[in-house]
Amino acid sequence: MTRMMVELVNIGKCYGGHYLFRELNALVQPGECLAIIGRNGSGKSTLLKIIAGLVRPSSGTIRVVANGRELQTDQQAAVIGMVSPEVIFYHPLTAMENLQFLLNGRNLEATEQAALHWLKQVGLEKQGNKPVSSYSTGMRQRLKIAVALALESPLILLDEPSSNLDTEGKDIVGQFIANALAAQKTVVIASNERWETEYASHKITLA
Amino acid sequence: MPAIKSPWRKALWAVLYKEGLCELRTRYALSALAMFALITLSSVSMAIAGTSLTPELAAVLLWIILFFCAMAGLSRVFVQEQETGTIFTLRLYMGAQAVIFGKLLFNIVMLLALTALIIPLFIIFLNVDIRLGFSLSLILFLGDVGIGAAATVTAAMVAKTQGKSALFTVLTFPILLPQFLAVISATAKVLSHTVPGLTELFFMAGYDLVLFIAASILFDYLWYD
Repeated sequence: MTRMMVELVNIGKCYGGHYLFRELNALVQPGECLAIIGRNGSGKSTLLKIIAGLVRPSSGTIRVVANGRELQTDQQAAVIGMVSPEVIFYHPLTAMENLQFLLNGRNLEATEQAALHWLKQVGLEKQGNKPVSSYSTGMRQRLKIAVALALESPLILLDEPSSNLDTEGKDIVGQFIANALAAQKTVVIASNERWETEYASHKITLA
Repeated sequence: MPAIKSPWRKALWAVLYKEGLCELRTRYALSALAMFALITLSSVSMAIAGTSLTPELAAVLLWIILFFCAMAGLSRVFVQEQETGTIFTLRLYMGAQAVIFGKLLFNIVMLLALTALIIPLFIIFLNVDIRLGFSLSLILFLGDVGIGAAATVTAAMVAKTQGKSALFTVLTFPILLPQFLAVISATAKVLSHTVPGLTELFFMAGYDLVLFIAASILFDYLWYD
């Protein structure tokens, strides 16, 4: 099992001469959860993207360590499962095809049975063969969770994971976080939902 | 558990398959490419009213059609990802090399399919006599690979910019110019029933290879920065 550790050292992000945030420090060990809290536009999603290696910080460094080995920026995405409003699926493809495509991208088993198994976990097994263009926002959010589940990533980044979800969907998210932490995965949540941040052992509040 | 450096060949085929599936369902690029080719060929055919073109003019016309078809449709592979927002998903879950080579192969396959459609029409509409079929096929293949490779890399470069279409053509043409001149010259020879020299074929193949290597090196910077 890959054990992930994430360390933020004096992280700052500057846009157009204005710092969104600066000198953020945190250390998240396997089985721990970091919550990032803050008002809209405070940089929660940007910080998650910095951790994912998709955005460069203006200052400081991110250390993502897998089984004691520090990963390069281009290696970070390969160990991450992410639920984010910016994850958008291919509308002409079905949920099943989208899931199989992303599983293939990570060199994981991408058979129909495997995809169906993950869709069942989020209650989308009956709509699996419908194009994503016909999905509601809540169903698309569930599909994002199915992808994050299917990838079995040791580092999970969640950006407002329960947005647009009904009560049943929120239960799925709660179960997902609880199971991930029990499996010694490292979880980072950007959210202002109190029930989601209660899983966290560390918190960063962005102004 | 995902490997930190997962083999990218499976991902490459996944990208190629995804591109094909999306194209089959939307017919965004194929329709644009085929329409452009048909309109150009039929317009020229009507203008010359049954008379034959010189081999040089016919060769230039053929490659101009292929080049502008490529400009009309091949940027889709990155521009549409950017416009629909799926580029983030792709960056998150797919490796750079799988993405560039998956999309590059897709563009080459598209261009080869288009060429297969154009050539019979070219022969019929423009009254062209082709005796060296194998030589022409080889030149068309090498030329299409070059156009496909150059177009894919420039599409990745312009995807985030304003005025994508104009910039796409402006950037692709100079990159492609040496290859373009070589394929036009070789095609003109074939249309005059002369076998092109090995040096020309090696130049074209070598240029394609350079474009592939440049695509691989450049794309890492575009993808991760």
